[in-house]
Formats: sequence, structure tokens, C-alpha cells
Amino acid sequence: MPATAMAFDGVTKQFGDFTAVDNLNFAIPEGCIFGFLGGNGAGKTTSLRMALDILSPTSGRIEVMGKEPSRENAAEIGFLPEERGLYKKMSVLDTIIYFAQLKQMEAAPAKSAAMALLERLELADWAKSPIEKLSKGMAQKVQVATALVNSPKLLMLDEPFSGLDPVNQAMLEDLIAESARNGATVIFSTHVMQHAERLCDRLLMLARGKKAFDGTQDEARAALPSRLALTAKADPSALPGVERTHAGESHDGWTRYEVELQQGIEPDALLEHCTANGVPLRSFDVQVPSLHETFIHFVGADEEIER
Amino acid sequence: MREILLVAKREMRQVIATKGFWIMLAAVPIALAISGFASNQLAPERTTAYSVVDESGRYAPLLETQMQASFRQATLRELSEYAEKWELQHVDPEAPWANRQAWLNPAEIQRFAEAGGAEAAVALLEPELDEDTPPFEIEDPYYTEVALPDGVAIPAVGEEVGERLRSVLEDDITVDDRRLPYGAILHIPANFGQPGAQARIFTNGRSNASLIRNMREILSASVRQDAFAAQGIAPDTAIALQTMQAPVSVIEPPPGEGRSLVATRSLVPIALVYLLLITAVTTGSMMLQGVVEERSNKLFESVLACIKPDTLMQGKLLGLGAIGLIIVLTWAGTGLVAALYFEGFAAEVLRPSLEALDDPLLILAMIIYFLGGYVVLAMVFLAVGAISESMQDAQSYLTPVIFLIMIPVVIVMQAALKGPDEPVALILSWIPLYTPFAMLARLGSGVATWEIIGTIVLLIAFIWLELKLLGNIFRASLLNDGKPTWKRIFSWMGSKDSAG
Ligand SMILES: Nc1ncnc2c1ncn2[C@@H]1O[C@H](COP(=O)(O)OP(=O)(O)O)[C@@H](O)[C@H]1O
Ligand SMILES: [Mg+2]
Repeated sequence: MPATAMAFDGVTKQFGDFTAVDNLNFAIPEGCIFGFLGGNGAGKTTSLRMALDILSPTSGRIEVMGKEPSRENAAEIGFLPEERGLYKKMSVLDTIIYFAQLKQMEAAPAKSAAMALLERLELADWAKSPIEKLSKGMAQKVQVATALVNSPKLLMLDEPFSGLDPVNQAMLEDLIAESARNGATVIFSTHVMQHAERLCDRLLMLARGKKAFDGTQDEARAALPSRLALTAKADPSALPGVERTHAGESHDGWTRYEVELQQGIEPDALLEHCTANGVPLRSFDVQVPSLHETFIHFVGADEEIER
Repeated sequence: MREILLVAKREMRQVIATKGFWIMLAAVPIALAISGFASNQLAPERTTAYSVVDESGRYAPLLETQMQASFRQATLRELSEYAEKWELQHVDPEAPWANRQAWLNPAEIQRFAEAGGAEAAVALLEPELDEDTPPFEIEDPYYTEVALPDGVAIPAVGEEVGERLRSVLEDDITVDDRRLPYGAILHIPANFGQPGAQARIFTNGRSNASLIRNMREILSASVRQDAFAAQGIAPDTAIALQTMQAPVSVIEPPPGEGRSLVATRSLVPIALVYLLLITAVTTGSMMLQGVVEERSNKLFESVLACIKPDTLMQGKLLGLGAIGLIIVLTWAGTGLVAALYFEGFAAEVLRPSLEALDDPLLILAMIIYFLGGYVVLAMVFLAVGAISESMQDAQSYLTPVIFLIMIPVVIVMQAALKGPDEPVALILSWIPLYTPFAMLARLGSGVATWEIIGTIVLLIAFIWLELKLLGNIFRASLLNDGKPTWKRIFSWMGSKDSAG
């Protein structure tokens, strides 16, 4: 059992009468990539802010790398806020060094780490330019660099992909995967499911401050009834484990059926039954539910999210 | 502490990169250079020359004597202040200059003149001076009469002023190898004193207002005297009436007795009031801009993930305080150099001011009021920045805040210059936002020691409270995206975090 990078224990945060985070419990094992999924206003940012000690919970306990949230942990944390912004007049290099120093680094290692990152982000030629000369995408990358400069053991990214073009999104996905390979725990929030689908080992789905799901992607999918499409001569409704079917187009006596299995029944079991009992099949395609579908299953279809 | 310094350093670098900072920094040195240059080039002497064309023949000598008398009166006053300051009254306790009130009494002025005036007094004091005591510098007479330059024609009443007269007035005039500014030509008609007859003073823009006032007063006195005579009042009685003073004696307890007073004749505290106002408002605005930039750029969250809001605020205060200090020290330093090493207007004003700063309590109090005032105001600006979403927003908050600072300060300056016990100045001394201004302004005329200590204690307590409140506002407002209302601001002041 790996150590825990972050744990929420009955955490609630109220703003006045409004409950933004409601009795949240979860634990993030060290070294994994963890996704906070939720629509607008679900409480993702508030949760991250509490873990950073920018906000304090109304009740409950938070542990970050075995300690209470506090600025003392800043040296080991890299944070990318949802709302981006940098000092316009400061140079790219100075900006990164400034944040490195705020995170307890000395000036000299800060500088070499900053230069290495700028190389990696293809921004080395801009090191001396003031931020105001940069395009929006480039400034975003500088901000990512300020989060990564201290080689954090815990990387917290709030909606990291928003505002990036597809090329830079891919670059950031690589960076996240690389950090995790190097042993960092990465926590990121998003309302875009495909990034989480590609990256996350584990997920937390939030619905208006409440936990809707916490576990691996496979566990999430397993909660949904399996779906498949098969081409058969007869309606497979009567076969064991089939919940319901929907007939599609027919051709030469073969009909294509969409099949939903009963909860807990695997498609393999149906296939085995058919082969064992001589049920003629022309095709058998298992449909893996997308993360988007699992999210709708757990949270509902009203949330403002993207696939 | 490390983080506070990091933030402070960053703030300083940001300000130093602006043009405004360098303009501020250079303002006073440039002003001093110009004023020093100007006075060196244009006004080497204080004495102003004037001419009198007296067709009646009665007034010119009178004018001359009276001018001398008023100069003697001023000299006596300065000499008695000098004697008191350097404790030289014991040299001749009976002398007019040993009494600070003597200059108000014509008989004493007369006695002073008869005893040989300032020259005799200086000769008497000279052997008694110890090495720390500067000698009394006898000033040149304020005004000297010169003959009307050749070729100048006085125009008849209503006629145009001639070219020659105009050019003479515009020029300096050479008297005994000295170039003197030529202040005025007084024309007195033969029938002066009779109804309708009018004396005229020809002058140019730069002439001395007090020269004209002197001329007017002397002539008026003389005309009055004639009027008395015409009413049958004997000349002696008339003179007695003229010189009769209302029986008001000016009583001033000597310092150190009765109540204990801290006072200085120095201009430095008043100068500090202006310096404080200027530096606090300008660097305060820079601070405000910085905070608004961070707020509108959504910068705070990255920073707050690394350091506490209090640390951020203290770093800003420290950094911009240091900027303010750099500006003030540069100004004060150039002022000091100007006073000590250069001649001219700046030196003449500054040198006596610096010499008058002889009380350590006074100097300490001035420093505390200045720095305290700076911090108090800086925090007000920071608070405005913290609750503003945009620069326009900040402007709308700033205007009332600046009025809140400026108006009482202007009032207190007026009041304090009238006297140390003006009620407005007294009251404002105990309102921490205004304490530094009121107290600095009042130092010129004397403040009780207990009042200095009391107001400083209150000021420091207020700074402590302000730090707490501002810390809360910072913490609460920085991440709150809603528009702050007064109600929310007040709730922020008391809040522990951003729950607001
Ligand atoms: N400082 C605050 N004061 C009041 N309400 C807030 C504050 N911060 C967040 N909220 C509310 O809490 C809820 C959760 O917000 P947030 O954590 O930002 O959601 P997410 O990041 O998932 O979009 C939202 O409804 C938001 O309006
Ligand atoms: Mg958010």
C-alpha cells in the first residue's frame, strides 16, 4: 500500500450559508495521476485551495503529504491556478526564479532549473523578454514552468488545459505523464473528460460539492452495465444476462442488435454462452463506456462538462 | 522573513523600472539646483535699492530714518533671539538684546541704536563665544536709497511711463561697486498732504512688497501727523499719539519653565509635512497600482499558494516603504549638501533650519512621525488596492480617500501655523491618520512633551491595529471574486479567512 499524498476526511467548506464542499472523503495514493472531475461550481477549485491552505475548511481534516496544509509544504508543491496571470513587466526568467524562490529555492539552482524548463517548453529564446511581449499561449506555458520549477513531489493543476491550443495541450499531457513517471503525484481538476480519460489512474467525481465517485477508471466503468453490439439471426433478449436489446438494420436474415447486459454481467460471459450453445453470430463488438458516459451515470446530465 | 524580503525586493524592482520613480527622485535636487542657480545668478544681494523724488522736500529724510529704524528693529529682534538661543544674555543682562521683547518697544530700539547697534553688540559678545557658538552675522540693510539715475523723467499724473524709467527699473543698479536690485521710485508731489495730492510708487514686478508697504506706512504716519497738527494738536502730542501703543504686553514664558515645551524655529518639520504628503501619496499610488495589477491579472492565487497574505502585504509595505525612504533620503541628502556646501537661496533657508534642530527628542519625534505617517497612509492605499477590481474602481475609491487625507491636512497646517493651541490642530493631533501632520506642523510653535509621547503611543497602537485590519482585508478580498460592498469590507476586517 503506497503512502498517501493527500487525504480529505469529512471536509466541508461553507461560504456564508452556501456549502461549496460537502463532507468530502477521499485519499490519493502517492505517485498516481488523480483527476478531480466536475462541472462548473462543483467545488474543485475550493478543494484545491483548501489543500494549499489558501482557504481553511469549515470542518473536517485535510492531510497533505502527511502534514496539515500550510505554506511550509510550498517547497514540495507545484500549483497552477485556474485563473492565470503573471507580472507583465517582469522577464520570463525572473518570473520563474521569483516563484522558485518563494518556494524556498536558492537563486542559483532556481536559475538553472528555470532555464532547463524553458528549453523543454521551447521558450528559451524568450527568457529575457517581459511577459507582456508573449502570446497568451506562451504566457500559459511560463505559468506552468513556475509550477514545475521546484520539481514538486505534489503537482496540483486547476483546469490546466483550458486556454491551451491542442499542440500545447499535448505538450502539457506529456509533462504531466513525465512528472508522474519521475515519482510525483499529480492532481488536476478538469471539466473536460478526454484529458482525464487519457491521463488519470484514479478519479474523483464531484457533484455540487458532494463526492459522486472515487476510484480507478475501470472501477468507474464497471459500475455501468456493459453494452455491446452483435449481429445474430434471432433476437438475443432471451439469452441469460441480457437486460434489453434494440434491433437495428437487417440484411440477408442477419440483424444487428444493440445489447445492454444486466448489472455485473461481463460481455465475455455472453460470448461464451453463445459459442457453447451454438447461437450463430456474425459479429460481436464490446462497447467500452466513455468516461463521459460514466460521469453522466454518476453525476447526471445537467453538468456543464465536455467530452 | 525571507519571503517578506523577496516580495519587497520584487516590488522595489518594479517601481525602480518606472519613469515616475526617477522623476520623483530627481525633483528636489533639480528644484534645489534651479533655486540655487537662480539666486546665485540673479539675486546676489538682499539689499534693495530705491529712489525718492521728493518735490516737497519734507518726506525723503523721514523715509530714510524710518527705513533705518525698521531695519534696526529687525536686527534687534534677530540679535535677541540669537542671544537667547546661545545663552548669551548674561554678558550684559541690561542690554536691549538681552530681552526678547525689547524689539517691540521703540524706546528700547532707540537705546539699542544709541549703544552702537548690532556692531557694538557683536564686539561685546565676541570674546564670550565658545567654539561651538557661531558669531552673529549682521545682515545688510534691507533697503538703501540711491539717487535717481540720470535721464529718468517722472511722468506727470496720467501720462505714459517713459522708456528710460521703465528700463531703469528693470535693470539692476550699481551702488559702491555692488549690483543691487532696483526696487522702486517714490515720487512725492510738492503739495503732498493736501487733498487730492498723490504720491506715486513706480515699480516693476520683482520689487519687494514689503518695501512698498514700508513706504506707504511711513507716508501715512506722516500725513496723519500733519492732520493732527492741522486740528491744533501740538506736534509733540501728535508724535506721542502716534507712537502710543495699546497697552498689550506680549508674555511668553521662557522654555523650560512652567510647562515643558518642545519647539523649534526650524522649517524642517513643516517641510516634512509636505514631503510626507507628497511621498505617501505618490508611492501610495504606485503601491495601489501594483495591487490592482495583481488583482486584475489574477496573480494572487499563484503567490498565495507559496506565501501567506500577511507576508505578501508586509513585503509590499516594506518594499514600497524602502522606495519612499530612498526618495526622502535622496531629497534630504541633496538638501543637506546644498545647505552645507553651496551658497544661495537654498542654503540661506536650509542652514538656519538645520542649526535649529538641537533637541534629540525633537529629532526622534520628527523621525517617528514621518515614518509612522508614511506607514499609516501606505496601508490606506494598500487597502484601497485590495478592494479594487480595476484601476477605474481604484480611482473611484481613491478620490474620497485623498480628500479625507488632504483636507484636514491643509486645515491643520493653517491652524498650526497660527499657534500650537488652535483647537483644530489639537484635536487632529489625536486622530492617528492626521497625528503626524498635525504634530509636525505644531512643532514649530511648541508642543508639550507628554503630548508627543502620548500621540506617538497612539500612533503606534493604531499602526498595529491597521496591520491587523489590512491583513484581514487582504486575506478576504484577494480571492473573493464578488464586488466588495462596504458591508462585506467591514465583515472582511473581522474575518479569519475569505468566508465573506
Ligand atoms: N470566496 C467565495 N465566496 C463565496 N462563494 C464562493 C467562493 N469561492 C467559491 N464559491 C462558490 O463555491 C462553489 C464552488 O466553487 P469552485 O470551487 O470554484 O468550483 P469549481 O472550481 O469546481 O468550478 C461555486 O458555487 C462558487 O460560486
Ligand atoms: Mg474552478
